[in-house]
Amino acid sequence: MAAITLEHVTKIYPNGFEAVHKLSLDVADGEFMVLVGPSGCGKTTALRMVAGLEDITDGTLHIGDRVMNEVSPRDRDIAMVFQNYALYPHMTVAENIGFALKLRKFPKSEIRRKVEEAASLLGLTESLDRKPGQLSGGQRQRVAMGRAIVREPSAFLMDEPLSNLDAKLRVQMRAEVARIQRRLGVATLYVTHDQVEAMTMGDRVAVISAGVLQQCDVPQALYDHPSNLFVASFLGSPGMNLFEGSVGEDAAYVLIGTQRIDLPGTLHESRPALRRYANERVVVGLRPEDLLMPGGEHDQAAMGWAPFECDVELVEALGSELLVHFTSDARAVQVAEVENDDSQGLDQGTLTKGGEGVARADARARIGGGDRVRFYIDPHRLHFFDVETKAAISA
Amino acid sequence: MSATVPDVLSPETAAESEKMTATRSPRHLVASITLLVIGVALIYPLIDVIISSFRSQGTGPFTLQYWRAVFQQIPVWREVGMSALVTGASVAGVLVVSVPAGYAYAKLSFRGARAIFGITVACMMIPVESMIIPEYSNLAKVGLVGSVLGTVLVFVGLGIPLSVFLMASYFKSLPDALLESGLVDGAGHLRIFLSVMLPLALPAVVTIGVLEFLAVWNDLLIALLFLPIQSQTIAVGLAALQGNHILNTYVLVAGSVLSAIPPMIVYMLFQRHLVAGLTMGVHR
Repeated sequence: MAAITLEHVTKIYPNGFEAVHKLSLDVADGEFMVLVGPSGCGKTTALRMVAGLEDITDGTLHIGDRVMNEVSPRDRDIAMVFQNYALYPHMTVAENIGFALKLRKFPKSEIRRKVEEAASLLGLTESLDRKPGQLSGGQRQRVAMGRAIVREPSAFLMDEPLSNLDAKLRVQMRAEVARIQRRLGVATLYVTHDQVEAMTMGDRVAVISAGVLQQCDVPQALYDHPSNLFVASFLGSPGMNLFEGSVGEDAAYVLIGTQRIDLPGTLHESRPALRRYANERVVVGLRPEDLLMPGGEHDQAAMGWAPFECDVELVEALGSELLVHFTSDARAVQVAEVENDDSQGLDQGTLTKGGEGVARADARARIGGGDRVRFYIDPHRLHFFDVETKAAISA
Repeated sequence: MSATVPDVLSPETAAESEKMTATRSPRHLVASITLLVIGVALIYPLIDVIISSFRSQGTGPFTLQYWRAVFQQIPVWREVGMSALVTGASVAGVLVVSVPAGYAYAKLSFRGARAIFGITVACMMIPVESMIIPEYSNLAKVGLVGSVLGTVLVFVGLGIPLSVFLMASYFKSLPDALLESGLVDGAGHLRIFLSVMLPLALPAVVTIGVLEFLAVWNDLLIALLFLPIQSQTIAVGLAALQGNHILNTYVLVAGSVLSAIPPMIVYMLFQRHLVAGLTMGVHR
């Protein structure tokens, strides 16, 4: 039995704006589910409907085996961590963490025990008598977590809980939140706009755009097999390179700009639908790490990999690797993340003239701006998308 | 003696030295002098009045004759007591109504909220004098003219619009997330109001209480018209000094100083909260 189930849940505001469109999702017991999408995509609204802070316009929400649509937040047995923590400023850390227990008329000794237990789990024991105003951002975040875990609820809801922390602390807390969630084994619905958070923390990730669920799967599957252009471009940093391409006769090759990449028979076996696009335009996607510099331990040409030539514009050295920004004669496709009324949740891809792209390269590669480079591409790593529907061309 | 080496890496030290630079800057000096001048200008009349009440003819040798005269000519204790009763009851009445009302307008959405709030706030613009006769006839209908209860009701009614407006603005400045957090934690609206919102709104509550205290304590018109003759407030008593007896300005001065003592005590007690309340929503 799933801990949280949303069935065709829809939110339409009184002004007619549809924030969430027929969202169906289930979070299993103990599962860490991340809702990710650009700001304004409806993910927070979805979370607030689960919490009971927003009315559900249509559809059904189950928590456990109960329908919760009309149940008040206090009776839903959920705990929520807010983006700005929403700590009670006039209460000490201990009072903040114990407030929900006090409301439930727990005996004082038990409240104390549970608060101390939560505090030690979160490293807050020293701060129990302080007020939120005297704490650092990271400590406040921990108090907010403490307030949620002390209740032992049937589900955690987290609304961008790390977004107010600085970058370094965010990385640290990311692991910590995930660790605590695993340890407690409580179903969690976690909202973020940060795809790195989504990929690293979630057991499964639901990608939302313009109120519509685009794809929900384990992080690696989303990354490797994005179901449409939005998911492909949203996940990954830097994002997937997307170029306008045209599939050749019998789908034997694809042209990216003027460069031809032969498509082997094994590729057609895994993606038979590609044949239907013979002599048609498609969007071709390439992860930055799938553009390989020549050399190394493999002879790429012998393995049937296709060369792809481009002009290096700029090289960013990250220490561990290089990000090579290049241009080619292909036309790059950008997916606008703006909200719109399109039910697909995708704006028309806009074409830019330069054919810009990014590749990852070894930190020790000798490469600089102005160079002409020949990358090698494994055709099996190419992604193809329908120009009209934006959907991935797979089966 | 070892010289202290400033720790350049410590943010506290940096902030402190910044503060010191600000203190010494010429702009700060000009501001300080200006504030000092204004301060003196405001406090001088008060001190002058206090001193005059203890000197013969205001400038002569020390005397207590005017203070004695006040106590001889009007029933000071009874009237101060009446002022305290009416003021206390009115402040309590205004707070009991306007604090929850302000919360409701700011944080709960209900049908007609905006319209009712608009009407309430618009009432601030009606001059008190124009409401005296309707109020009188209203009280007459329920037989409360010439009663303490009726007078308190009038004060409460007149105090509510501004108080509700101020409370609603203050509650609006408190983040909704606190309310939502309370709801998820398992609290009902009443519990959230009492345990979360009210403690945070204390500066505003104190501000409204003090403003209302001053307004009622110093009021002459309504007390004079609505209170029974035998139980008047000190403000009315002081006015009577002018009319019913041979006017001695210095007796009146002593009486004014006397009647100003309770408000000053109230002000000093709540001064800190008052400052916080008057800068409502400025710093969060």
